[in-house]
Amino acid sequence: MVFSSLLFLFLYLPVVLAVYYVTPLRWRNGMLLIANLVFYGWGEPTYIVLMVFTIVADYIAGRFVARFKSQGRDGPARAAVAAALVLNLAILFFFKYWDLIASTLRGWGLDLLPTLGLSLPIGISFYTFQTMTYPVDVYRGDAQAQKSLVNFGTFVTLFPQLIAGPIIKYKELADQVDCRSYHVEQFANGVHMFVIGLGKKVLLANNIGMLWDAYKAMPAGELTVLGAWLGVLAFSLQLYFDFSGYSDMAVGLGRMLGFEFLKNFDYPYISRSVTEFWRRWHISLGSWFREYVYIPLGGNRVSRGRLCFNLMVVWGLTGLWHGASWNFLLWGLYFGVLIMAEKLWLGRLVASWPRAVQHIYTLFLVLVSWAIFALEDFGHMGQYLAAMFGFAGGGLADPAFGYYLRSYLPTLCAGILAATPLFAGLWHKLPKKAGMVLLPLLVLAGLLVSTAYLVDATYNPFLYFRF
Amino acid sequence: MSKKYAIFLTALFCLFIGGFLAANLLTPDRDFSPQENRYLAQRPELEPRDFRLAWPVGDSGDFFSGKFMSDYETYLTDQFVGRDFWISAKAELERYSGKRENNGAYFCAQDTLISRFDEPDPDRVADDLGYVNRAVENVDVPVYFSLIPGKVSVWADRLPEGAPNASEEAILSQAQETTQAEWIDVDGALRAHAGEEIYYRLDHHWTSLGAYYGYAALASAMGMEPTPLSDYEKTTVSTDFNGTTYSSSGVRWMEPDSIDIYVPEDGIQVTAWNSAQPEEGVLYDWSKLEEKDKYAFFLGGNKPLAVIRTQNDGPRLLIVRDSYADSMAPFFTANCSEIHLFDPRYNKTPLSQYVRENQIDQVLVLYSVANFVTDSSLFVLGQ
Repeated sequence: MVFSSLLFLFLYLPVVLAVYYVTPLRWRNGMLLIANLVFYGWGEPTYIVLMVFTIVADYIAGRFVARFKSQGRDGPARAAVAAALVLNLAILFFFKYWDLIASTLRGWGLDLLPTLGLSLPIGISFYTFQTMTYPVDVYRGDAQAQKSLVNFGTFVTLFPQLIAGPIIKYKELADQVDCRSYHVEQFANGVHMFVIGLGKKVLLANNIGMLWDAYKAMPAGELTVLGAWLGVLAFSLQLYFDFSGYSDMAVGLGRMLGFEFLKNFDYPYISRSVTEFWRRWHISLGSWFREYVYIPLGGNRVSRGRLCFNLMVVWGLTGLWHGASWNFLLWGLYFGVLIMAEKLWLGRLVASWPRAVQHIYTLFLVLVSWAIFALEDFGHMGQYLAAMFGFAGGGLADPAFGYYLRSYLPTLCAGILAATPLFAGLWHKLPKKAGMVLLPLLVLAGLLVSTAYLVDATYNPFLYFRF
Repeated sequence: MSKKYAIFLTALFCLFIGGFLAANLLTPDRDFSPQENRYLAQRPELEPRDFRLAWPVGDSGDFFSGKFMSDYETYLTDQFVGRDFWISAKAELERYSGKRENNGAYFCAQDTLISRFDEPDPDRVADDLGYVNRAVENVDVPVYFSLIPGKVSVWADRLPEGAPNASEEAILSQAQETTQAEWIDVDGALRAHAGEEIYYRLDHHWTSLGAYYGYAALASAMGMEPTPLSDYEKTTVSTDFNGTTYSSSGVRWMEPDSIDIYVPEDGIQVTAWNSAQPEEGVLYDWSKLEEKDKYAFFLGGNKPLAVIRTQNDGPRLLIVRDSYADSMAPFFTANCSEIHLFDPRYNKTPLSQYVRENQIDQVLVLYSVANFVTDSSLFVLGQ
């Protein structure tokens, strides 16, 4: 199930909220666990079995880690952590990467593995990353082992962030899963965040996404230089509003249920370096890799050669996490190289440039990266990049470019402005009274307009089916 | 945020989502949407067999394959309270946000909606042209062939500037160059009158006037004498026609079309086959003017086969066709003794057999470009 659907908004959510708040406190996690499983299983109920298996296995592993630790037996405790990690990674690998490996080997003439054609369990990349934090956090002493299987299951399956993040570490949520307080102020804040996220997804991302789809489908011979850049600009806005809209909705829904999640996006497109971009883009994924991969590998405090190796490992994995296709690996390594260069020497150089140039430098590199990210077929990617840089012979612009630019200009402008802190800044400058009058009107307008777009649901893609 | 204000915001949100939940439960489901001209999805039922599990999972019953869930979402969307309002509101919002199209229909000058013409599948086009050629080989009578361009090319000047469309002209020249049938140019005849109301503004069909120009070009090429337009008297039968593009676009701010007729229905006998049994048909089905899909006024809408018999001498003409022929057939009553309208979408009789059994003198294959390049039923022509 996805948030931006009539089913979620006008059936699942009101029913779950109503039942949640009439359920006595001690049963709430149990009720929430059931609601989470319905959310997860909607569409592919068989994978509930996989989910329950993951929950039980990680729960048991966590208990063993805690027991061995309390007995002072570090070796067995580490072994239990390793067993849990191997199991989670095996599940992730099997469902997500098996076919990629099998078909790549076949491409090399090695017909060793059959391709399975299994559908990817929704959100598997998000929730396996979450469950892996549990035995590690318990081992590191950052969190207590969870005594209640129900509470642990609630953490793993929590529907607001189950399928598209943010990726929450166990230690961040451990206390809230066991015990949380409920305030109507928090609920109202949640409504505010949720409607912002819904608007980002339904009104901006879906709309601008149609422009990218037009350019993505265009035969290579018809692509013009400006058209190719317009297309990739559209994709960059679509992905940002889709993803950050989902995260905002997750934060909002979490608050409605009494949870506080950390924010996942912080205006990434205003960054002045690629390093800064990744501090502002998908923050929970970056911090996961930093804490559970990069720092265990030695982090910064290593030789220069080892640092380069660490960075390439982390960024290669970050790329592949985004999808089982080699273009994602290339995309990750592209950022690995850039971040390494910024760490070693480029960063100091960039910092000496005028601010405007820093912004242009960052946006240019990020836009190019989205062309690599969005086009899985390397031939198509090559043609598209060639068109962006004027090597495709399609000319500078054509009448279709003029048509698309005129049609989408207001939406693109709204999107570009909304990707900066401008609106948030204006909002805080408003007199308090005006804000209080405006907020409910904007919430209502956001809900009404989003409903109109969802009823006429001709275009409402779910971008994370590969994640 | 004060507590009172927080309660107010919370209540606003809960009333919104809960209110629509209740409204959806309380309002009765509709079978048919006249605005969209289609049947709406109904609530899917779960039966014991839907819980059957199989491998691969996709072959399981509707519950475990996920079909039930996707059907349910379609149902909820189709039956959402105030659906027509939301759809027209969305189209208006798109218009105000600067868009020049909605749901694949361009907002064009002079209150016209034009569906986007996408690049057709070249294999399908080649196959369909091949079937027409096979028909030429299989029957002993002359086979004529023509394609009717849509307003996307004839009325291209009404499109928003730069609106992307595939080329119908390319299809027309490909057909003309490769066909072994007698090619007839309807395109030129329509373009000569592009300034007149030869298409409905909100429907994809040609008007009776457009059909007349088509008829005149076809009849002359087939050796008949077309009746001059001035011999007819125009009668307007409806001024409230909101056609297919109106339905699909969500656009509700344009003036409806009028439907005109030129040919009186006196002395014409129509036999229609909706099934294996012939029924008495009509040239004009006046009851359809009360319904949403008013184009069905012509011959009562799509049917596998209709035979029009006149009191004139003249050839027996077989038209293999799509719905564009419905409004054109009346003009041929002046020149033919029988007009057989054969729709391969619903009629799988081999063409050569039909021609033999009904002593057909001439065959005309007549399609709109848009239908011809997507049709998957033309294989009956080659049989």
